[in-house]
Amino acid sequence: MKQYAMVIDLDRCVGCHACAVACRAEWQVPVPYRRNWVNRLGPAQTSKGISFTFYPGLCNHCDEPACVPECPADPVEVTFTDQKTGATKTMEVAATWKDPFNGTVQVDRRRCLGCGACADACPYGARYVNPDVVNEDLDGEGIVDKCTFCMPRVEKGLPPACVQTCITDARIFGLIDDKDIAEYVKKGAKRLESKGVKIGPNVYYYGQPKDLELLDKTSTPQELLASSGRRRMFAQMVKPSMKQAKNIGLIGLAGTLLVKATETKSPGDE
Amino acid sequence: MNRRHFLKMSSATAMAVAASTMDGLPGQAGLFRSAQAQEIKSFSTGSLGATEVTSVCEMCFWRCPIVVKVKEGKIIKIEGNPKSPVNGTRVCARGNSGVQLVYDPDRVKTPLKRVGARGEGKWAKISWDEAFGEIAHNMEKVKKKYGPHALAYFDHGASAEFMRGIFKAMGTENYTSEPAFFQCVGPAALAYLQTVGYVTTGTRQYNDMANSKAMLLVASHIGENVHVSHVREFIDGLQNGSKLVVVDPRYSAAANKADIYLPIRPGTDTALMLAWINYVIQNKLYDKEFVANKCDGFDALKKEVNGYSMEWAAKICDLKIEDMKAAIKELAKAAPNVNIHPGRHATWYGKGDTGRHQAYAILTALFGAVGVPGGIYFPTSVKTGKAECPEPEKTEVAETDISIKDETEYPFSSMFGTATRDLFHAMLTGKPYPVKLLGVNGVNIMQTLPNPYDTMKAINNLDFIFCEEMMAGETAIWSDIVLPDSVYLERYDGLYAYDGLTPYLTVRQPAIKPLHNVKSPYDIAKGLAKKLDIEGYSCKNEQEFLNEELKGAGLSLDALNKQGGLVTYKGNPYRDPKSLKLGTESGKVQLYVEAFDDEDLDAIPKFDPTPAPPKGFARLIYGRAPMHTFSRTMNNLWLNNEMPENKLWLNDKIAARLNIMDGEEIIMENQDGKRSNPIKVLVTPGIRPDSVFMYHGFGSKSKHLSRAYGRGAADGYMMTNVVADPFIGADSKRTNFVRIIKGDKTLNIPELAKVPSEIPRFKSKLA
Repeated sequence: MKQYAMVIDLDRCVGCHACAVACRAEWQVPVPYRRNWVNRLGPAQTSKGISFTFYPGLCNHCDEPACVPECPADPVEVTFTDQKTGATKTMEVAATWKDPFNGTVQVDRRRCLGCGACADACPYGARYVNPDVVNEDLDGEGIVDKCTFCMPRVEKGLPPACVQTCITDARIFGLIDDKDIAEYVKKGAKRLESKGVKIGPNVYYYGQPKDLELLDKTSTPQELLASSGRRRMFAQMVKPSMKQAKNIGLIGLAGTLLVKATETKSPGDE
Repeated sequence: MNRRHFLKMSSATAMAVAASTMDGLPGQAGLFRSAQAQEIKSFSTGSLGATEVTSVCEMCFWRCPIVVKVKEGKIIKIEGNPKSPVNGTRVCARGNSGVQLVYDPDRVKTPLKRVGARGEGKWAKISWDEAFGEIAHNMEKVKKKYGPHALAYFDHGASAEFMRGIFKAMGTENYTSEPAFFQCVGPAALAYLQTVGYVTTGTRQYNDMANSKAMLLVASHIGENVHVSHVREFIDGLQNGSKLVVVDPRYSAAANKADIYLPIRPGTDTALMLAWINYVIQNKLYDKEFVANKCDGFDALKKEVNGYSMEWAAKICDLKIEDMKAAIKELAKAAPNVNIHPGRHATWYGKGDTGRHQAYAILTALFGAVGVPGGIYFPTSVKTGKAECPEPEKTEVAETDISIKDETEYPFSSMFGTATRDLFHAMLTGKPYPVKLLGVNGVNIMQTLPNPYDTMKAINNLDFIFCEEMMAGETAIWSDIVLPDSVYLERYDGLYAYDGLTPYLTVRQPAIKPLHNVKSPYDIAKGLAKKLDIEGYSCKNEQEFLNEELKGAGLSLDALNKQGGLVTYKGNPYRDPKSLKLGTESGKVQLYVEAFDDEDLDAIPKFDPTPAPPKGFARLIYGRAPMHTFSRTMNNLWLNNEMPENKLWLNDKIAARLNIMDGEEIIMENQDGKRSNPIKVLVTPGIRPDSVFMYHGFGSKSKHLSRAYGRGAADGYMMTNVVADPFIGADSKRTNFVRIIKGDKTLNIPELAKVPSEIPRFKSKLA
């Protein structure tokens, strides 16, 4: 499987917040919610001297995303197509999934119930529920949103909005085995992983050891929320009989997706 | 209440409430039906497919070339112009947020007339005709009663340029008090002008950081101070292996990237510079050939700095001598490709600000870093035409027996204009003559100047004050008439020629029609000129004079737009040192500035210490936040969300002694008993124990700025001790001291860094 990834070079980053604002503009993310953020860290003492650095964060499009299995929406069968090779793969997915061809984690906004289970499950806080928009036919309570790695832009050959605007070229985007990214990984770019949270995030941070130490100390999640069956159960309880969408071409996702309604058991019913 | 909130409750409650929702009790769902369809559509496509208009940013004065993206008549996004050689597709957080300046609900939407007291912010809406009529009537009345010089203009930025002509046509000498000069770069500009013969640090800064092998920043916090091309050159330099020395009492974002960081005692930078210059001379680390052939006054310099030893400076500056030596050796090793950066904002201590910058220029010259890669370079001007029509036909400064400019105590101020302090002195005292009418354009008059208490008094002495403003901020609430200005995204402006390493020519043009009842700066000047019977401003519109000026570059608006809105030229930044001829009288670097000596000022800088904090106080220093410009952007929806308020940086050891926790809210009290808005504390080792630091521009006192009002604290309201630069009369801003009020307790700042006896102590009645 191919996997899109991003490196953030903190030696180049000056903490200007252009990335966070460009993302907001591109995808009209309402204040105060975020797909993309910059947390200002320090100046604080580390074992290697004072550090004043930044946590530019976004969805990590994890290898084993904690969010995806939490989605209580009725799964549907979706055929994914690799844009380059034309290869297809059919999987049953709820309203959020990991793309089998490019590794990005995506949301079908039109099937989202807005229950927030996925947002709560994400140890990085990368998802938000916008309560101001709903899928009425699903009696939804909001719609979840997050970074898509700007797939609609990437498909048109454009860089993600945050990468394009980065004033110091501190954000490097591509496939995980692209030369630029692989070189950073080789020379020590780190992921925000801990003993408790090892789900293969695909955003890497490079920088001075003191900066990576402060970043890790302040920003690496230490534990995954215990899978909340209760949460999913409630979402199921309050969910009306879903009007299942048939053959919806999902706009803006990698490849052309065919959504086929299925009558499978929902994950909350086990 | 919605389901997500229910789910956050304890399970029993949640169960009950969730059940009741299923019974059909009203929730929030269903209220936003139409929004849903619209929102899903926009989420799917982002900015793709938008109409594009090339233009020029004005979220700060750096003016990056941009592309404005418009969908269904609405600006949705701003990106950098890919044709721009300096920023390409990039814009900073502020550039991105121009969208929200246009759609800010707190914009001034129509001309306003004050109905309450000045400063109260009570207005009546009036027509443009009435607004122009009021201003014209008062200008004529004041001119008749007190003479033309009683009119004064105080301005900054692109909006201000056309209206300056009105004041010139009225005959006043007081149209050149730009705070950008007298409150900011003035001392630096004068020092470089006199030393190397040109202003290396004005609006633009000709510092070739990208090609340097070493850089020195003295309290300049590039990265927090964001001008895109400048930051890019800085980072490119570092990535190319340039060694970075940062001298700053605060651990800035730049300090974090430094090879050598020197946490200097505030106010002693010149001591360090002079000791370094002496060290460079004594150890023959200077460029002998350059000094011999291209510098005047070396022997005098050598003699003058002879007494400034590293040991002495280490004590004065509270630095380690090994670090000081390592730093100057690193800089010397890189010569001539070394960048002694002048910083930007130079008005720190009043006394010594010009001398400090003279010292930077001297060190630059000793290293031969003039007109070579990595050093200071020469601007390349872009040839354009000059249109007469956007100006008044006749302007002439009226004759006067007494001129503010001549009466000044500051011998070099008149080279650049009327010193702000001389102008405000005239407003306060009527001397040397009364100034009774002030036009303010693009300046927050309360936060740009120190001592807003005096500014308020000065304004209350005026017969009339008006402003041109986009936002209903502090200047607006103090004005008698407020003229609403169109935002840069709604209008044309002048031509923008960049004279840096990669010169280009571009133009601002509107992406949308102006919202509300606002006018462009040109139309405002034109409308006011008509009321005053001032001839000129004869262009029908901005396009007419832009085309005229573009003709001089062999272009037109259409031709420029066909080329992506921007054309580039070849730069000529470097010179062969052998044939180098500077703009000074001798064509050489003036290590000894005779013009200063002629005015009984130091021809070679001396260290004249600024007083140390009184016992119990810390020095207040301030700087720029990367997502804000001056005090202008704090109400912007997106930028406010990135940083809604500032924090007071307090040394961690001091905080521990005072039992102050990170995030705790306190009030500052200055040496004269003035108290600040409440402000949260950032407890950090990244500030010296004798100083506190805050980002500038917060704590607006205008209730009309719904997001910015009262958020954080304003540094200016803590500045009641202001010292004049003896050369140009620039106003100091790092000569104030604060202690902390927590609850009902006054907390004195303990002194952890001993003050040497050479440095006097500021006397405060409160100490």
